[in-house]
Amino acid sequence: MSLKKQKYWYKLDNAGKIFPAVSQDERSNVFRLSFYLDEMVDSTLLEEAVNKVLPRFETFAVQLKNGLFWNYFASNTKHFEVEVEPAQVCKYFKAHDNKGYLFKVYYLDNKITLETFHAISDGAGAMHFLKSVVYNYYRLRGIKFDHENKILSELPYSKKESEDNFVSNYDKAKKKNLKEEKAYHFSGERFSNHWVLMMKLRIPTKDLIQLVKTKYQSTVTQFVTALLAYSIYSETVDFIGGKKPLKVFIPVNLRPYFDSVTLRNFSLYIKATFDAKRTDWTFENMLELTKLQFSDQLDKEKLQSRISSLVGFEKNPLIRILPLVLKTIAFKIGYNILGESISSCSISNLGIIDLPTGLEKKVIDADFVNAGYGIAMTLISLKNHTNIIMSSPLKDLSIMNYFIQFLVSEGLDITLDTNYKEGYDEIL
Amino acid sequence: MKYCKTCHVHYDTTLDHCMLCNGDLEHENDDVVTYKFSEYKKKNASRFFHRLFIFLNIVSILVSIYIDFLDGFPLTWSLVVSITNIYAVVMFILLAIPTIWTSKMTKSIIVTVGMLILIGLAIRNHSWALDYVFPFALMLNILLITILIIFNKKKWFDYFSSLSIVTIVGLVPGLLNLFGATQVTWPSVACFSYALVTLLGIIFLPSKASRDEFKRRFHI
Repeated sequence: MSLKKQKYWYKLDNAGKIFPAVSQDERSNVFRLSFYLDEMVDSTLLEEAVNKVLPRFETFAVQLKNGLFWNYFASNTKHFEVEVEPAQVCKYFKAHDNKGYLFKVYYLDNKITLETFHAISDGAGAMHFLKSVVYNYYRLRGIKFDHENKILSELPYSKKESEDNFVSNYDKAKKKNLKEEKAYHFSGERFSNHWVLMMKLRIPTKDLIQLVKTKYQSTVTQFVTALLAYSIYSETVDFIGGKKPLKVFIPVNLRPYFDSVTLRNFSLYIKATFDAKRTDWTFENMLELTKLQFSDQLDKEKLQSRISSLVGFEKNPLIRILPLVLKTIAFKIGYNILGESISSCSISNLGIIDLPTGLEKKVIDADFVNAGYGIAMTLISLKNHTNIIMSSPLKDLSIMNYFIQFLVSEGLDITLDTNYKEGYDEIL
Repeated sequence: MKYCKTCHVHYDTTLDHCMLCNGDLEHENDDVVTYKFSEYKKKNASRFFHRLFIFLNIVSILVSIYIDFLDGFPLTWSLVVSITNIYAVVMFILLAIPTIWTSKMTKSIIVTVGMLILIGLAIRNHSWALDYVFPFALMLNILLITILIIFNKKKWFDYFSSLSIVTIVGLVPGLLNLFGATQVTWPSVACFSYALVTLLGIIFLPSKASRDEFKRRFHI
């Protein structure tokens, strides 16, 4: 039996503090996770499943409230309603119009989609929630599988799931100055009405791993980071000779490093930086540099030092006593000046989705989409294939094209899918 | 499934042409391909009328100040028109932002009272606004939220911010009277007393729930 709490509250975690202030239509800070089932989705049962699972996920059953100095999350016990998936991927939504909840659950044909506002969780946390929703959806359908200890809603609740691990790993002595130089930015025409193009590459995982391990002696994330950087280097005309370096941001799941099981945000960006003044870049030397930068930054001591610096900022007495209204204005100004300018694009690899055997037979595909400035790339693996999803608000396919052609030339069998349709050129 | 001979990629969607080279896609097999997203429908520029409303108000302010200025200083009627225009824009934005209606009500009352005081200052007679409208509007607001809380105890957390703000603002008429800014004493004193009693009630109510709410709202 689980005891359902109705009155709880959380402070926003370090990563989530800025999102309520800076999110808007063109910068939603919402990410998408989808499961494609082997049958059409019954929306009534889906809604029932979400409401059944929600009390177990305290960090999702919340609403955002304004305090005098900071926002906070208060418990939310309202009935959650699922909706038909909108045309816009990672669409900005107002919590007030969503019964206060900071996530959306959509359905469309055989697809169940979870879109989460980044203030409450990151990809790893949201994946636990989606898996639990889909597992319980099938149970309500009368199909029962063994959860094999892989479905969080079927396991006992731990307070550790709601812990702010940024704060728990804060060490005042390890703070260091975090200075970021501005990065190269793509320019170009955007799709109208904040529509984001999504291009999905489905690749056999075995072939992809064989390629990156045997030919390039790297990891998949290192390989795609270098390849994206090389595609940008090859296809843009204003990067070479410019002053700003190309910076690819890669969020790292910190849970394995700090023995964490939190469902709240607990990831930190590392970055691969490539000099714009250098004109002799090859894919191979970009990959070598990427490997070096990864091994340098993926060090527990260094990660903790960065966590401490970030938490140290919010612990600054001057910041703390600033009323929320002024903090919001400061966040907005700061984010507009610095926020997006320090990264060129991002890559997020959610890894292999580990489902119970019974559920794995029912889930035929998965999407992970992160809509951001320039190109946002995500990777997710299910069963024997990996989906590399590139999304962009810009009307430019040249970088994606180069990326795809490189993979084809390496002998990979690629199946494309997209949210683009013929005729969209005229309306977007 | 479809296939592009030029780019050597398969397509699992309903496109007829390759996105990369624009060449025709060939059918590989009889598998049915579907479009797996909601179809985008062209939207009307819904914000055009919002912008037009703000633009017309700005034009109204500039035109009226210019015409009034032709008669020389000090400006008279144009100030009233401008304040009303600004009030209309502020109220429009305030009502358009989605939030709970008690918050909208409190903000609307405070903005309306502010507007009336400014009009009073513009016509060089602000006594009616500061002496009567200001304290009575605040007392009415405190009373309404108090009644709401009494009859809907479960949602009192939602009304807490509005009540806190309006009771703190409710102390202002008394302070204004103390410093001689108002001429009629009793409405200001009544408002000050009522706000003070409510504020003390919020702080000293022996309820764990209210103490917890304080902790949340004021966590630093």
